[in-house]
Amino acid sequence: MDEMTLNVRTAAVRVDGLSRRFGATRALDEVDLTLERGITGLLGPNGAGKTTLLSILATVSEPDGGRVSVFGLDPRDAAQRVEIRRRLGYLPQELGYHRHFTVAAFLDYVAILKEITDRRGRAEEVARVLAAIGLERRARTRIRALSGGMRQRLGIAQALLGEPELLILDEPTAGLDPEQRLRFRELLSGLPGDPAIVLSTHQADDIAAICPQVVVLLHGQVHFTGTPAELAATAAGRVWAADERDGRAHLSWRGADNRWRHVGDDPPAGAELVAPTVEDGYLLLSHAAVSHQAGAR
Amino acid sequence: MLEGVAARSRARRLRMVMDLATVEASLLVRSVLVLAGLLAGGAVVWVLLSPTQPLWWNAGWRTNGGQLVLAMTVLAAAQLAAGRSRRDGMADLYASFPATRCTRTLAHLIGLAGAAPASLVLLGAAAVAVQLRGAIGAPSIAVLAGGLLLVIAAGAAGIAIGTRFPHPLAGVIGALMLFVTGATTHVASGAAIWLLPWEIVDDQLGSLPGPLAGYPPAGAHASELAGVAVLAGIVALALTVRSARARAALAAAGLLAVAVICLAGAMQLRPIPTAALNRLVSEVADPASVQQCTTAGQVRYCLYPGFGRDLPSLEAPVGEVLAHLPARPPQALTIRQATSLSLDSTFTHGHSQRQVSQWNAQLQRAPGNAGAATAVYLSVGSWPAGGGQLADARFDVALAAADWAVRLPLPIGSGQACVPLDQAREAIAIWLAIVATHPPAGELTDGLRGPGGGMQAAEVQNTIVQVWSPPGIDAGYLTGSPPQFTAAGYLLARAMTSLPEQKVSQVLSGAWSTWVNQRTTDARLAAALGIPMPTVPTLPGPHPGLGAATAPGPGNAPQSPQCTT
Repeated sequence: MDEMTLNVRTAAVRVDGLSRRFGATRALDEVDLTLERGITGLLGPNGAGKTTLLSILATVSEPDGGRVSVFGLDPRDAAQRVEIRRRLGYLPQELGYHRHFTVAAFLDYVAILKEITDRRGRAEEVARVLAAIGLERRARTRIRALSGGMRQRLGIAQALLGEPELLILDEPTAGLDPEQRLRFRELLSGLPGDPAIVLSTHQADDIAAICPQVVVLLHGQVHFTGTPAELAATAAGRVWAADERDGRAHLSWRGADNRWRHVGDDPPAGAELVAPTVEDGYLLLSHAAVSHQAGAR
Repeated sequence: MLEGVAARSRARRLRMVMDLATVEASLLVRSVLVLAGLLAGGAVVWVLLSPTQPLWWNAGWRTNGGQLVLAMTVLAAAQLAAGRSRRDGMADLYASFPATRCTRTLAHLIGLAGAAPASLVLLGAAAVAVQLRGAIGAPSIAVLAGGLLLVIAAGAAGIAIGTRFPHPLAGVIGALMLFVTGATTHVASGAAIWLLPWEIVDDQLGSLPGPLAGYPPAGAHASELAGVAVLAGIVALALTVRSARARAALAAAGLLAVAVICLAGAMQLRPIPTAALNRLVSEVADPASVQQCTTAGQVRYCLYPGFGRDLPSLEAPVGEVLAHLPARPPQALTIRQATSLSLDSTFTHGHSQRQVSQWNAQLQRAPGNAGAATAVYLSVGSWPAGGGQLADARFDVALAAADWAVRLPLPIGSGQACVPLDQAREAIAIWLAIVATHPPAGELTDGLRGPGGGMQAAEVQNTIVQVWSPPGIDAGYLTGSPPQFTAAGYLLARAMTSLPEQKVSQVLSGAWSTWVNQRTTDARLAAALGIPMPTVPTLPGPHPGLGAATAPGPGNAPQSPQCTT
């Protein structure tokens, strides 16, 4: 074991006072975060700073302020940054492809860029990830001939190359059909080596299903860190089922049982309390943040 | 311990660079653009080489005209490859890999080895074609290496462009700029043409009777291209490298590359040594001093060293003409190579005006420039290796030998060509050339028409006369202007070919001195042979669809003289 791996047993990712601005927009505002091994779900609305945070963790962009430590390594140092990248698998939110490459050739190319230099080992690794995402029969297909869902799976496959210790997936389930989403959950759950996985998504049920840890990012700030159950619990006593719609609710919608589900602070007349979900907790957090910001203005 | 980690890291990175370079090289090898460039380059080589004699001191340089085309497509392909990650929206993903932009650029540069097979295939195919056509001289390694370096330098430039500008149009513009530098060499003057990426228009390599020391300055030009390739690679790396130390090292290497380019440029601008030009002028003005002469059938064939390969294809048609002659003229026939080299500033830069004037005065005395020729002069570099062009060249030599046999003037270097108007010896000369070489009848008949399809005419003794051009006359296999043959003479010769050769020979043998007399008319010859005088079509006036007679109106232009010797 060399000194680059000495800190493997510390927190996978530690973020202290992380800030990032884009002109007048504060994308990240003094973010503090500690991510352990296992799957962490990152929830937040569009523009909350999720992609900015993930790209900084992936060493793609640099923060304006604050510190990041990945496996105890500092990405500001060139040598340590390379070492982080050697342990990293990253799926950006918007990934283009070399459309004239075949699936296998693309993965082989990425494997080289990940310094998997043994030819046979590389071929085995490409075959492994192809099988993992169910594209092994498409190995010789050109990427331009793949459907959107298949391309998304290919993006996930490239991130899995080299069995990364830190897997950063920015909206990996976008474009996947329900069965593929379930398979994706199965895939992440079965990854060897207990990697640290950070995935951002708008799908609260994905978070609830596979993430032991969830982080809610709103307006560039961390508003919640805990388990999905703890997130759901933040909405306890504030989710109701009623026959009529109540305008005082923060949000209400008619469910499959034809009854109105109200998320809010005040119970509608004749409503009965129901068990909250992760989605309810997230909605209430989000609403509170919006109200807080409006009040601050 | 830290040193060990760093060493392992470096080794890993190096292996990655080489693996990536291998992939990039294989992509370049299979690139449709490069393949298209190879085919287009092959076509250009064919166009540049096929009309000329395969002289290595010229063919090697011409071959690289095809390499210029290949270089254009390699530039575009390399630009596409270098800009691929940004163009395809994968910059963020690539930025998360241990392979930095700099190492990827380095891999792209090493991957340019993938362009070498196409360049070598083009070079090999051209070399085989040149050799199969009977090459004269030996290939210059410096010239041929220059073609490969041109392709590599263009590829490096493409990578530098693609690293900064990923849009495909950037590569197209780069390729077009390369084309423009190759197509506008005439804008440069003197030795400056050699500084451009490749020059294929303004040199006189094909007119040289042999390789000339320092012309073209191939070694220096190859060095320049190598310097450009390195400089382009350094620019590409400098655009991607982040560390100040690496930037400083690249700047130092860049300065070195610029120094090499400047040095190579200065060497290319050096004057050709006076001794070499003295020798060249002497070889051109006084070919007898260096030519090797062979006598066969009492005809002297004098060729520059290395051109002995052409001797059999010269002897055959001349021998056939001689075989049909009842009697030979008293003076011997000499067939000699000559060149119409003009010493322009690409040769004479750096030499005094006085010296240049002396050389030009010497060149004016070259045998091919004389008003009255004493030999048949073959243009250096124009003798074809085979096919229809060789058949034409053989006919032209046979006709020149026949002119000598019937005492018509040999092709003259200056002044206006004479017209053997109504002279039986003209038809006899044409007949001799036809029976000696048997050219296709269609080609002969084509000689009645001008370039626009109309009839050709000349004015002699205030009469517009329809004329006939021998096949291949415009290709310039012989230097100077042969007599201007008339359509009547050709038509009579064609009618003679319908008679048994023996019968014609008998008639000619019976009164040879009469037939070669300039006063003996076509009608008299026709009557002796028992054939009617062929009718010469009347010259059409300007008329849409028929074309126009290409002759000046009476009194509007200098008249052609009658052949009187």
